[in-house]
This record gives sequence, structure tokens and C-alpha cells, in this order.
Amino acid sequence: MSEQRSNLHGVLAEFATTEQLLAAAAKTREAGYTCLDAYAPFPVEGLADALGLRRPLVPLLTLLGGVLGGCAGFGLQYWASVINYPVNVGGRPLNSWPAFIPVTFELTILGASLFAVFGMLALNKLPQPHHAIFNVPRFALASHDRFFLCIEAGDPKFDRVRTAQFLESLQAYAVSEVLDE
Amino acid sequence: MTEQNYMAPESVSRLAQRALIAGLLGFAGCAAGVLTNSEQFFRSYLIGYLLTLGVALGCLGLLMVQHMTGGNWGILIRRPLEAATRTIPLLAILFIPIVVGMRRLYVWTGPMKEPLSNFQKGYLTTPGFLSRAVFYFGVWILLSLLLNRWSLEQDTNSEDRALRRRLQLLSGPGIVLYVFTMTFAAVDWVMSLSPHWVSTIYGFLFVAGQAISAMSLMIIVIVMLSRSEPMSHVLQPRHLHDLGKLLFAFIMLWAYFSFSQLLIIWSGNLPEEIVFYSARLHGSWGVVAVLLLLFHFALPFSLLLSRDLKRSARFLPKIAAAIIFMRAVDLFWLAGPEFFPKGLHLSWLDFAAPLGIGGIWLAVFAAQLKQRPLLPLGDPKLAEAIEHNEH
Repeated sequence: MSEQRSNLHGVLAEFATTEQLLAAAAKTREAGYTCLDAYAPFPVEGLADALGLRRPLVPLLTLLGGVLGGCAGFGLQYWASVINYPVNVGGRPLNSWPAFIPVTFELTILGASLFAVFGMLALNKLPQPHHAIFNVPRFALASHDRFFLCIEAGDPKFDRVRTAQFLESLQAYAVSEVLDE
Repeated sequence: MTEQNYMAPESVSRLAQRALIAGLLGFAGCAAGVLTNSEQFFRSYLIGYLLTLGVALGCLGLLMVQHMTGGNWGILIRRPLEAATRTIPLLAILFIPIVVGMRRLYVWTGPMKEPLSNFQKGYLTTPGFLSRAVFYFGVWILLSLLLNRWSLEQDTNSEDRALRRRLQLLSGPGIVLYVFTMTFAAVDWVMSLSPHWVSTIYGFLFVAGQAISAMSLMIIVIVMLSRSEPMSHVLQPRHLHDLGKLLFAFIMLWAYFSFSQLLIIWSGNLPEEIVFYSARLHGSWGVVAVLLLLFHFALPFSLLLSRDLKRSARFLPKIAAAIIFMRAVDLFWLAGPEFFPKGLHLSWLDFAAPLGIGGIWLAVFAAQLKQRPLLPLGDPKLAEAIEHNEH
């Protein structure tokens, strides 16, 4: 490990096609890098696998939100009609569970959707007003027709010079440092 | 790709043979049943018949939904769906024993202790029952004939836009007609077992159940076909994923309809309505109701939440087979308490009749599946549907 400036976010390589990006991502992983991110103007099939991303936590969070919402919905009605304010309505049991199901169902969906949306935002560390990668002027092309692969400075194998050389060896169109200032 | 490459493999012929043997054994059992206990035979036959009819009609419904919506999932199972719809004439023939036994099955054919309303007296008559049955089968057979004929024409005319348009123009009203006729058929053939009790959502329970049965069978068939050439290169996890998601949706739809009926009747608690649930939610029939809740809804719902299970060619067909079994239990629970209000009654004929009808049906279905290429070769979206890319 040579000198690492603390304000260095990573090294960014630019590619012209999805095939080049996928190949580069695969080779980068083979070379042992783990802190990677890729940027593309549209979803690229197979990119998540090529980057070796773990399966997202959002589905699990959604399930958790659904279960919590459902229990809260049923619990609320049970507490209100059985414990806190029991009223005999036409001789029906206090715990009239069939009547509780619609609200339980709605709150299951509410809990699941809230956890899905806010869980996704939290896992992506959003909202984030600024990101170091926007300091690279050509990065604007990630919304047009260019594909970027970034090896981040947090990677144990990261070396400012050698990592840049490595990315250049992958036939990148351009390689630039991402500075966080 | 040539047509020859997409004809059904040997395994389909073997399936037809085995199903035929099972069906003949089942019918031999039924024949013994007619002689020893004809009352029970007709009851068991009705349940077995409804299960098999549900698979075929569900396929008709799904086929029309596929023409309306497109979608890769449907292109892959379109030929098995069409083969299933071509069995409807067989089901019309298999309806004959119900006509023969209608005096034993339906109390309204004789004098009633509590008289029916004037409208019911006018509706529930033997000539009315028979002519409506002829009409339902006429509609279903006509829909299946046209859909099959035009789909075959498309194999050689992939550029024919008018043909595609015609398939869609038929399918839209066809779906409405199917739901409409099935609602009336459910009223005639099952709800009228207890002629004083009415429920307006009853037909939808059957439609949703038929969609479940049909989708389950399609999952089993497509995985079976994918074990050998030519479909082994075609079926991908993303296709199973789509079919699994639809099965999941249909199970929720069935649960939604079933619960809607329960909630309304339970809340109203009116004497003429609640009899349905007081017979079915207590005692040994109540145990069946809990089994339905657990294994027709809760367990498949929880399992099918998993992405991996929906994409698994090993597990998804097993879940589908279990669901078809639960469809039989559901129909048994709907019709059975009318015959045995005191409690659950299981006869060996309850197994022989579904085996006989189901076996013969499966043999004819497999024979039909061999008639045409396993993929709709003229469908303009076919290439996209079987392209190898993982989403």
C-alpha cells in the first residue's frame, strides 16, 4: 500500500459498451477487488452478478414490515374491542376475527410498502445531496451513453497507481481519479 | 427452427398410456360403485368431475388472458393450454352420468319440504338445467374451436396481423362469456345442491379455483416437457418465475373471494345464509375448513413468497401438485356437507371417481398435446419469449 490521500474516493474507468463493462467487472473481481460500483444509463443484465453484489436486503425488510404491520393491525383491533372497550354487538364474540381481517390485510400492505420504500432509501444511504463521483466531469455521460466502473479507495487491494494501471489494462476509454473535496 | 423439432417427446406418449390405465382402473371402480352404492357413486362423481372440468376451463380462461395480455409466460404454455381446451368435448360426454343421476343429486328435482320461491321454481327445472348445460358446453366448445383453429393458422402465417387481431377480438368477450357461463354452471351444478341458499360470489370462487388448477397443471406439464428434447433448451428459470407468480396471485384471489363470502355471511348471521357455514365450520367439516385455510392458502402463500422456490424446477411442480390435491379437498368441502350434514364422510368412491375421470382426461390431454408443435411457431413474440437472457 502506497500513500493514500484521505480525500480520494476511488478510481473511475469509462467504457463505451455494456459488454466491455461486464467483462471489466468480471476481470476486476478476478483480480481480487471487492469494493466496486458500476454506473450505467440503463439497467444492465448480469451486472449485479458480475459485480458480485450480495442479494439485496429489501425483500427481507419488506417481509418484516408486512409481518409487523399485520400484527399491529390485528393487535390494535383486538386491544380496542376485547381489552380496552368491550361492547357486545348483536351477541357476536368480542374477538370477532373475521371482521378484523380487512384492516389487518391493509396494514400488512402498508407496513410492507413503507419498509420497502424507506428500507431501500436507507440501504442506499439516500437522500445524499452530493457524491464524490460527480466531481469527475465526464461522469455526466453515465446518464447518456457511457458505462463506468469505480474501484473505491476503501478496497483492501486499492493502490492509487496500480489500480489505475490495472483499469487502463482493461481497455478503458478513460481512467480518472475521483477526489472527494 | 422446423416443426419437426418441436413435436412432443416420447414421455408424453408414456404419460398418456399410464393415465389411460389409471383412468380405466378408476372407471372400473366406479362401475363397481354404481352396482353397490349408486347414491355415493353420483356424489363422488360430481366432485371428481368438477375438479377435472376446472382444469380444462381454467386453461380456456388462461389461454384467452394470454391472447389479451401477451407475455412470455403464456407463449411457452400456449400449446399445452390449447391441448387442454380441446378436451372440453370429452368433458361434455363425461357430464352424462350427472344428468343420469340428477334425480339423486339435486333435491329440487322432487317435492321439497320447504317450498322454493316462484323464481327458483321457474329456474330450477329439469328442462332448464339440461338446456343451460347444453348452452354452457356450446359456448366453451365454440371458444376452444376458434382459438385452436386460428392459432394453428398462425403457425404458417406469422405475418398475418389480422389473425392476431381476431384472436384478441374473440378473447376479450370470451373471458366475459367464460366467467358468466361458469357462474351459472356453478349455480346449477353445485349451489343448487342446497336450493334455499344463495351467494352471488359463488361463481367467482369456481373461476379463481379453476385458474389455480389450470396454472398448477401447466407448471407440472412444462417442467415434465423440459426434461427432454425439444423443450429442454427452452424452459428457463425466469419462465417458471412468471408462472409461479401467477399461481401465487390466483391463490390470493381465491382466498380473497372465499373470505369475502365468509365475512359478509358471518357478519349478517341471517338464518337462511349462515346454514352454509354452520354446516362447514363445525365438527369434522370444520377440520377440513382449517386444512383448507392452512394448505390451500397459508402454506402455498408462504412458500411462493420465495423467489428461489418459484424459480425451482424441482420444487415448484411439487407445490403445484399439492395445490391440485387441495383443489379436490375444496370441492369436496363445498359439495360434501350437502350430502352428509352431520359430519365428514369419506368413501372409496371419492378416490375412484377423480382417478377415473382425471386419468381419462389426462390421457386425452396428452394425446392432444402430441398433435401440434409444443410452441406456437407463428407467434411474432416467440423469439423474444425463448431468448436466453436472465432477468
